[in-house]
Amino acid sequence: MIKLIRRNLLRNKRRTFLTMASLAMALFILSLLGVVNDAMSFADDSAMPDRLVVRNAISLTFPLPEAYEQRLRTIDNVVSVTPQNWFQGVYKDQRPENFFPRFTIDPATFRSVFYDLEWNEEEWEAFAAQRTAFAAGRELTEIQGWSLGDTITIKGDIYPIDVELQLRAIYDFDEPGQERQIFFHRRYVEEAMGNPGQNGTYWLLLDDPEAAPAVIAAAEAMFENSDNQVRAETAEAFAASFTEMLGNIRFFFSMIGLAIVISIFLITANTMAMAARERTTEVSVLRTLGFRRNQVLGMVIGESLAVGVLGAALGVGFTAVAIQGATPFLDQMGFGFGGFALDVQVLATAVAIGIAVGLLSGVFPAVAAARLKIVDGLRRL
Amino acid sequence: MAETVVQLRDVTKNYRRDAFELKVLQGITLDVEAGDYVALMGPSGSGKSTLLNLLAGIDQPTSGELIVAGQQVSRLGESKLALWRQRHIGFIFQFYNLIPVLTAYENVELPLTLRKSSRAARRKRVETALSVVGLQNRMKHYPRQLSGGQEQRVAIARAIVTDPTLLLADEPTGDLDAESGGEVLDLLGQLNEQFNKTILMVTHDPKAAARAKRLVRLDKGRLVASAPGGGTGA
Ligand SMILES: Nc1ncnc2c1ncn2[C@@H]1O[C@H](COP(=O)(O)OP(=O)(O)OP(=O)(O)O)[C@@H](O)[C@H]1O
Ligand SMILES: [Mg+2]
Repeated sequence: MIKLIRRNLLRNKRRTFLTMASLAMALFILSLLGVVNDAMSFADDSAMPDRLVVRNAISLTFPLPEAYEQRLRTIDNVVSVTPQNWFQGVYKDQRPENFFPRFTIDPATFRSVFYDLEWNEEEWEAFAAQRTAFAAGRELTEIQGWSLGDTITIKGDIYPIDVELQLRAIYDFDEPGQERQIFFHRRYVEEAMGNPGQNGTYWLLLDDPEAAPAVIAAAEAMFENSDNQVRAETAEAFAASFTEMLGNIRFFFSMIGLAIVISIFLITANTMAMAARERTTEVSVLRTLGFRRNQVLGMVIGESLAVGVLGAALGVGFTAVAIQGATPFLDQMGFGFGGFALDVQVLATAVAIGIAVGLLSGVFPAVAAARLKIVDGLRRL
Repeated sequence: MAETVVQLRDVTKNYRRDAFELKVLQGITLDVEAGDYVALMGPSGSGKSTLLNLLAGIDQPTSGELIVAGQQVSRLGESKLALWRQRHIGFIFQFYNLIPVLTAYENVELPLTLRKSSRAARRKRVETALSVVGLQNRMKHYPRQLSGGQEQRVAIARAIVTDPTLLLADEPTGDLDAESGGEVLDLLGQLNEQFNKTILMVTHDPKAAARAKRLVRLDKGRLVASAPGGGTGA
């Protein structure tokens, strides 16, 4: 039986190989899509339902006055407010591994809003006390080989100043992707710039996530008649607008994925149907020899299942190798804020799809083969 | 007194074709004793293959009684029937119908894989069957590497390897040249004489029919004559 399945698979080597390869290829692409999708879903994972972001209504690149911080604090349900500013700049060179988010913050209020980062208190005190200090996520310090006390220079680009910073604190966060940022004092940049009194975004902590719509309305209304109107949104919406097209891309990816699954199913099903049809006579011969209907059924299904399993294994193997190879690269392209990892779930899904495709595409020809009356099968020559 | 391997009582077979009922077999009554060698002749479309298929249990009669190897064949369900076929029937096709992806050895072994037996016991049987048909030196050949006559001999080995009660052959020489056909007929005669196999063979060739012990003629679904053949044993 097994031998017969194996031999039948080898009968038309090219066809079996092509089917398997197309299945493998499709699952490879599918897994890649899944992995990329996962990497992009960090925005959702790290959604902070109790926090809002307030920014300039025109665009993220326009700042807001410093004074807004105090006024935002007066809105009902707002527990705390803290400024945060995208400094950007260049560390060392343009190489991707030296690109990581750099924010300026206010240590006085930072932790009251971003309460989910974990700090060593002494380190935090040291960081807060030194105007030129910076704090970095643990993962980033490991990548860069920094230790406390090290000094780095960031060349400004948006801001025409270079900052020299000393590492004073390292934080942990349970989302590894969030450990790849640095924070330093907003005052440092402000003073170097001659105190323009501006800030990019304000982050608000709410006492109740349910109040978000009301706070958003209140914040936007508050500055409606000022020169700098604001846009307030949830952290999640902000993350999405920060990478605006990601949502669309993910949907697009899902559609591509679906199309791939359907087409490999059709391809495999067609091949299996062809293979089984060619063997109508043989199936009848086997049954004449005394093979039972179920054995014939099992044989045809077994064959396409084997194609499915091997194709899946091949595809997943490819993916594993490709991801291993490409991770450091993709990771630092900025794709990988959320960590670009080979997710077991993605692989399991790919394998499951491969097996399902194999099974399903085998079922129809198998049932047809088993249903066929022996005499009719023998007659068809 | 030899036991009766085949007992047909007023067997009919109709095929429906749209509204039209095609009466292929119209009341066949026939006995075949163990050790007999029967040639079944008749014009094309007279129902020879249909009759053979009924005997092999791969088709069901419309009416009548059909006892083969002591079993009312039409009473068996699919799975039991398959088992019965595997035990009692050896079928030889006109076009050999070997499985192309399997070697001669594996083709002959195929029916034995349905039985519980050791690999060594199987090997012995397969080798015996292949040596009976004179192909013990072609065991590793695939069907496409064999001549038509050799293929048919492998097919015969496959049919006899289970030591079936009844050998059924549907125009076994129909696709062969005179020489290979002659070899196949020699082989069938030998199986009948030396191994006492009961054989029922459909043929168009009077010379082939002459090798059998008994000749049965079918015309338009009826047996028209049943006479002793010119076979060696008669
Ligand atoms: N499955 C079927 N459906 C409809 N008609 C059938 C079927 N099988 C056989 N027939 C018809 O039954 C008749 C007898 O067929 P059968 O194959 O038994 O003839 P035969 O004597 O073996 O002929 P040949 O010598 O050509 O092989 C033919 O007219 C054939 O068309
Ligand atoms: Mg016929």
